[in-house]
Amino acid sequence: MTRRITAVFALASLLGSAWAAKIAIYPYDGASLLAGQRFDLRIEATELKGNLKDYRITLDGKPLEGLEQTSQGVGQAEWTLRATSLRAGSHALTVSLADEAGEAKKEVRWEARLNPRLPKAARNVILFIGDGMGWNTLNAARIIAKGFNPENGVPRGNLAMETGYGGMATVTNSSFDSFIVDSANSASSIMTGQKVQVNALNVYPSNLKDTLAYPRIETLGELLKRVRGASLGVVTTTFGTDATPAALNAHTRRRGDYQAIADMYFGKGGFGIPLDVMLFGGSRDFIPQSAPGSRRKDGTDWISEAQRLGYTFASTRSELLAAKPAGKLFGLFHIDNFPSYLDRAVWRRPEMLGSFTDMPYLWEMTQKAVEALSQNPNGFFLMVEGGMVDKYQHPLDWTRGLWDVLELDRAVQWAKDYAAQHPDTLVIVTADHAHSISVYGGYDYSKRGREGVGVYQEAKFPTYGDKVDANGLPLPETARGIAVGFAATPDYCETYRGREVYKDPTISDGKGGYVANPEVCKEPGAFPRTGNLDPGTAQGVHTADPMPLFAFGAGSQLFSGLIDQTEIFFRMAQALGFNPYLERP
Amino acid sequence: MRLMLVALLALGGLSLAQASLEFSELYSKTTIRGVEFSPKLQALNGKSVQMIGWMAPPLKPKLDFFVLTKAPMATCPFCSSAADWPPDIVLVILPPGRTADPTTQRIRVVGRLEVGIKTDQDTGFVSLVRIYADRIEKAQ
Repeated sequence: MTRRITAVFALASLLGSAWAAKIAIYPYDGASLLAGQRFDLRIEATELKGNLKDYRITLDGKPLEGLEQTSQGVGQAEWTLRATSLRAGSHALTVSLADEAGEAKKEVRWEARLNPRLPKAARNVILFIGDGMGWNTLNAARIIAKGFNPENGVPRGNLAMETGYGGMATVTNSSFDSFIVDSANSASSIMTGQKVQVNALNVYPSNLKDTLAYPRIETLGELLKRVRGASLGVVTTTFGTDATPAALNAHTRRRGDYQAIADMYFGKGGFGIPLDVMLFGGSRDFIPQSAPGSRRKDGTDWISEAQRLGYTFASTRSELLAAKPAGKLFGLFHIDNFPSYLDRAVWRRPEMLGSFTDMPYLWEMTQKAVEALSQNPNGFFLMVEGGMVDKYQHPLDWTRGLWDVLELDRAVQWAKDYAAQHPDTLVIVTADHAHSISVYGGYDYSKRGREGVGVYQEAKFPTYGDKVDANGLPLPETARGIAVGFAATPDYCETYRGREVYKDPTISDGKGGYVANPEVCKEPGAFPRTGNLDPGTAQGVHTADPMPLFAFGAGSQLFSGLIDQTEIFFRMAQALGFNPYLERP
Repeated sequence: MRLMLVALLALGGLSLAQASLEFSELYSKTTIRGVEFSPKLQALNGKSVQMIGWMAPPLKPKLDFFVLTKAPMATCPFCSSAADWPPDIVLVILPPGRTADPTTQRIRVVGRLEVGIKTDQDTGFVSLVRIYADRIEKAQ
């Protein structure tokens, strides 16, 4: 398989890089993995001059066996080894090759980490992700939920997620190919410990054309199910195949491969490891193409198929609460994204709800998911996403976004109580990225436009909480609110207010750019603001700002300080006392 | 049954003067199992209708088809693979050889209604409701 190169390496270095073929190796140089974590190893040579005359690939000095060699085109050669893994320790992979122009060589170093078995290790993980819930988003939500004593300015308390934690960290992130992330590669970093390209899910880069063939990286969820026989679950308020939930077990270069992601949830594709509990929206990716509204390109009906596979199925809140699942639970509660918490619980406008008037809250889905998953004595991994926190910050609708943080916080409260009664459970609350949101003053709703903004002492104190909804959460309608802005915007009209029927902040100008939505600009007190994003951007964007992390229960003390997002993966594994290399099934 | 007949007769009469169709009248309901075409929509299938709405962000400067939406939209329904478009959109197809200019104004579309799942060969876009337009004009 491997052959020794006879030419002199010194010659290659003399000729310099301009002559040499380019070599890319994945896992990338400096990657850390868990010992025993599976991945697809890939080596890609490009800009080969003439024929590939010879090559040698070694791992820790020994020829690497089992590589499949391919070529994507002229001057290219690739080597792939699927589903391999490393034993604990430092490793070096060396590739040397010779073509007509001479020789090229590249070496990468990897670290495969080992975790000690802890006496009081976690067995279960509940990972909450507030999508787009940076520190500032969380801070704004707390001000709404708790506020201050107007007599003396003393804060009235913290959110449930900010209270009674065993560990707290500030998290930074970045992508393989950019220092800004999207939800797909960010969640992938949390689930695999690797840096991943924007819009990719749990794969390394490659030159492949088939997005589903990209080099896979095993996620913590997949590891726990494969090695320990744990159950896997995902709960979110977005469409089910969206990027964050997909990070549990999907592997693709393109987060938009919705049909393939739906299939991977049921164990078709990827590493073939199915999820046991799925509660979310987006039924359009699970119903056959013959059903109007389906996004599938085939006749698969996962609703009936899932029931044949033993999943209990629910499509409304009533059905979910009445369900007595035996381990496997599948719930689709909307054809697309859930309407926001305020739409479902407070405003209830038919324009926003349509026929979906019996939908579960995030905390109810969390509870039912745990009820199903916790039947497995081998433990479980559950991801709960407050997905619409992000989806409403993008169009600058901070009102909807922030109340969805409060819904998420209620779910965290439930999980904290569960962890208190089940001390082998680790609960983590974090975000995948931030938005450019900031609270810069108070707002007097008896006024309109800029006149209503009060800063410093004129900000006074918000009066949220003077009226509460049926769940005890403050109503958005109050005398004094918060003045909220975003640092990165398209052209839009500012009104300082939420609105019961959603409106996009911008509309297309028909020439590839966007202009402020005239329907918003007609609202009382509205005035136009020139955006600072490039004119082809319709919405607010993700930022490089830091994110919170709170940890509760077993192993929570491992989460502290300023950490990169990839570290969340390793510390969860550490809290689980998880050593996939030694714990062979 | 009798009520249905009366409704059909009434709609048949209206078709001469282009029955007016609202976005809220497209579907009787949307459930997790898909959308259900409303009786009115089904009755108007193949007939001349008029609808008022906004042109969704276009794919190209000169349009031989575009998406009509009930509210002005920022997202292009099928430019981005990750876009979430509302279910109540109508594909407007212009007569062969004719094109329309992109506009941000409210427009009235008059033409023949077609109902049912159809996949566009070029873009892969799946539409449920289409109007083969005879006329497109600025609405008040």
